[in-house]
Amino acid sequence: MKSYTKLVSTIVVFFLGMGFSLNTFAKIGSCNDPILLGTTISETGPFSTLADRWRKMTEVFAEEMNKSGGVFVKSCNKKVPIKFVIYDDQSVPATAVSLYEKMATVDNVDFFVGPDWSSMGGPVPPLADKHQIPMVMANVASPNLYDRGLKYIWGTPFPVVPRWSERYFEMLGSVDPKPKTIYFITHDNPVMKGITGYWSKKAEDQGIKVIGTETFAPDTKDFTAMLAKVRAAKPDILYISSFDAPSVALLQQIRKMKIKAMDVHHAMLSGTVYKQVGDDIQGMTGELPWYPGVKGDYSEFVENVLAKSGVNMFDYIFSLGRIASYLTMTQAIERAGAIDRELVKNALYKGSFKSPAGNITFDERGFPNNGAFTVQMQQGGKVVVVWPKEAATGKLIWPSPSWQ
Amino acid sequence: MISIEVLAQVVLGGILIGGLYALVAFGLSLIYGVVRILNFSHGTLLAVGGVLASTLYATWGVSLSLMTLLLTPIFFAYGYLFFKYLLEPLSKKNHFESTVGTVLVTVGALLIMSDLTAKFAGPAQKNINIQFDTFEISGVIVSTTQIIILLGIIFLTLALHYLLKLTWFGRAVKAVTQDPLGAKLCGINSGKIKATTFAFGSATVFLASILYALSFPVDPYIGFGLTVKAFTIIILGGIGNLPGALLAGIFIGVAEGLTGLFWKPEWAPALSVILLLIILIIFPQGFQKSK
Repeated sequence: MKSYTKLVSTIVVFFLGMGFSLNTFAKIGSCNDPILLGTTISETGPFSTLADRWRKMTEVFAEEMNKSGGVFVKSCNKKVPIKFVIYDDQSVPATAVSLYEKMATVDNVDFFVGPDWSSMGGPVPPLADKHQIPMVMANVASPNLYDRGLKYIWGTPFPVVPRWSERYFEMLGSVDPKPKTIYFITHDNPVMKGITGYWSKKAEDQGIKVIGTETFAPDTKDFTAMLAKVRAAKPDILYISSFDAPSVALLQQIRKMKIKAMDVHHAMLSGTVYKQVGDDIQGMTGELPWYPGVKGDYSEFVENVLAKSGVNMFDYIFSLGRIASYLTMTQAIERAGAIDRELVKNALYKGSFKSPAGNITFDERGFPNNGAFTVQMQQGGKVVVVWPKEAATGKLIWPSPSWQ
Repeated sequence: MISIEVLAQVVLGGILIGGLYALVAFGLSLIYGVVRILNFSHGTLLAVGGVLASTLYATWGVSLSLMTLLLTPIFFAYGYLFFKYLLEPLSKKNHFESTVGTVLVTVGALLIMSDLTAKFAGPAQKNINIQFDTFEISGVIVSTTQIIILLGIIFLTLALHYLLKLTWFGRAVKAVTQDPLGAKLCGINSGKIKATTFAFGSATVFLASILYALSFPVDPYIGFGLTVKAFTIIILGGIGNLPGALLAGIFIGVAEGLTGLFWKPEWAPALSVILLLIILIIFPQGFQKSK
């Protein structure tokens, strides 16, 4: 009896030590089990303001997808439901790396969707190649992260750096009076520096002179020195390339310093900024990847998911990038016709997948071609799409009276 | 070419943020001087106070004077109890256990306070967004908020300075700082003075948090960076020397501003540590006169 108890205890301790879970014995590619999609979400930490409702959104996505049975898999000759394995990466790249390793080795997920942010897009993808698990990242927008020769990586950021402000600069080319000078203020982050680098060159090409660029650390609270220089330079356009939360103090101090310009543009104008800064961002322009009401593939499905999970596109502007990674992966599985990592990889390679904001087409690196609309914050916190003209929901006020 | 207006603007901004750094350092300086404990959670108390004050203001419109009256005693009580029940028992251990124990307790408090604040108030930045008027003097923008904060810093510095100089409590604090055994022989209850000083430091940092949140956003995780700045200030200014701390705070604030102006703004946050290293090599006693 004693030795039996000892044996049972040893087995229990062994499995606990191995991080035992039901998924340990999940069979990859089984038609009888749900398709396991492994992901991490920045539910806590600095990026949580952009993503703290995405767990619910992801669960609702699976529920809605599974209502019709899930994803049709030809080799199973039936629809197979999907199931997400979700962890909080705490906005920390090292945590994300260990969680994806765990999902590959302990949870035995079939495929990866996510993570977000270029800071995670550096260290996490090599794991996908190591375990040969296709990974459709979400909001990883820096092109150079796709240049590393990794074979199992794709991404669905909306917008991508080379198309981030495409429509805004198109708009600047058509406004009257035309801006002649631009000043860039950049958050010290790979994707934000990428945006400034790319669009400052485009501005020069378009005849708008770049009269200054400043970079600030994410925890900067006092912007007096930077703004004193901007004020003295008197630019026509002040372009802020920053994640929303780190720019709150900057935006408040821009108003206090009475900066004047034809327009102040924020590459990440969002509801989060509005909630924290309030009417100080009145008249400012920004980018929005998509918004409910714009018709396209899956638009009703996505609107439904957003509504049921309480996610407002303007508050969580990167939600489309997230959902697009799920949509892309499920379409790729269907196209592959099997829950097979190699076949799904082949389906994703240089593929084109449907989304509410148009087709996502990958180049040979797995980098997409996604763009964005230009919006303006108008009276009382109302967000109005002002460019392109055919998609506009309101008229652009130019030059923005609130910055005069 | 940098104009004189731009330079003046940067110096004014540096004085303001430096004064706020000094206010954070005051409490830490007193606590270290009397209790000899490096309280790593000191700056986090400012973060908690700032988030609390901003939430009270934004959600219920609680006035600054009312929240000062209501919350200062609560922070005082928190400091007293924190010392009495978590730190004082460690002083009875041997030197090694006591040192490691206080680091673990204060760092643990830092992590717990940050996460609890994020859990209840959200991780996003907040501030007391009162739109005061701004005006221009010879090309330099000055806001009424800045003037209020500067007056607040001057008032608190003087009040603390005279409190320590003229009251029995202040003299007892000095006595315990300079000669704990002698103070005990004179009938001073050093345990009580230490607990009260810890509480006093906590209440001071709450007052600083209101002034801080009036000008800059706070979030649950800004505390540790502020604690490091406060450590730098008390080393430069001298332990227990409030005017020295104010001077050191302003020095760091202005130096950060000038770094942003003449070099790169992203280097400004690291400047306090670099300055600390350089000045300690040249002036090992800090700004205090050598004895």
